[in-house]
Amino acid sequence: MDIQLKRGLLDVSVLAAIKDGESYGYKIIKDMKPYLELSESTLYTILKRLETAGMLTVRTAEHDGRLRKYYHITDSGLRRIEEFKEDWKEIVSIYRFVVKEEENE
Amino acid sequence: MNKQEFLNQLRLGLRGLPQEDIEERINFYSEMIDDRIEEGLSEAEAVKEIGPVGDVVSQILSDTPLRKIVKEKIKPKSPINPWIVVALILGSPLWFPLLIAVIAIVLSAYIVVWSVIISFWAVFVTLVASWLGVIVSAVYSLISGRILAALAMIAIALLSAGAAIIMFFVCLGATRGVIWVTKKIVVGFKHMLIGKETV
Repeated sequence: MDIQLKRGLLDVSVLAAIKDGESYGYKIIKDMKPYLELSESTLYTILKRLETAGMLTVRTAEHDGRLRKYYHITDSGLRRIEEFKEDWKEIVSIYRFVVKEEENE
Repeated sequence: MNKQEFLNQLRLGLRGLPQEDIEERINFYSEMIDDRIEEGLSEAEAVKEIGPVGDVVSQILSDTPLRKIVKEKIKPKSPINPWIVVALILGSPLWFPLLIAVIAIVLSAYIVVWSVIISFWAVFVTLVASWLGVIVSAVYSLISGRILAALAMIAIALLSAGAAIIMFFVCLGATRGVIWVTKKIVVGFKHMLIGKETV
């Protein structure tokens, strides 16, 4: 898959994983597992990118005597998901056009 | 391997990155391992799920911009000795041309590699051009009634078309090969800057 496209898709998937409430690293990986396998290093890079872009905020809290980082989606992150849904409609309609062309060949 | 060993090796592999980056990565992986243990996995299983340290280090390095590694590398560990600055300035007529020469050699080596690729593609273009040319003259011969000549031309056209198709894949392979090698060299260079690879 085109690397730029894949990067965008992964960003939105991680945002979707924290959309309904803050989450932490391992839970994000677990929640996404039925849909796509994500390595720790990849997740780290995505979380960092989303944080820099202001689409999520991070807080460190104590859990069971150790520290854990929780990721919380921002308004801008929620907007990104909505944008993605809109973009996707366009992509689907382009896809239909491409497939139609092939069928007519 | 237990968690502490994993984290120690990770730290070793990442030395050369800025200290705060290392700490953040260590905390991240530590949390990941702890969460798996909490889930019911044994420590060894949890570490195994994260993957080999070498792979983790390689991926982190390829995600880290080269600029960041170089910046960390040239950051002085202790205040610079003024005498070193004086020596550097006095010595500049010597090391500056040497530095330029080294850069020029590296650059020309790279250009040479790409020249080979370009000449490959040039051969491909020539084959396509000769194919087109022969086709045109075959048609011309056919119109002017020289059937034998036309047949010979068509045979030649088929040959160059075949050669062009083979050449196309050779070119494609060579180009991809060089791009792959370049990527490897950059990752290798990052490893070199950071020091020895992890065991």
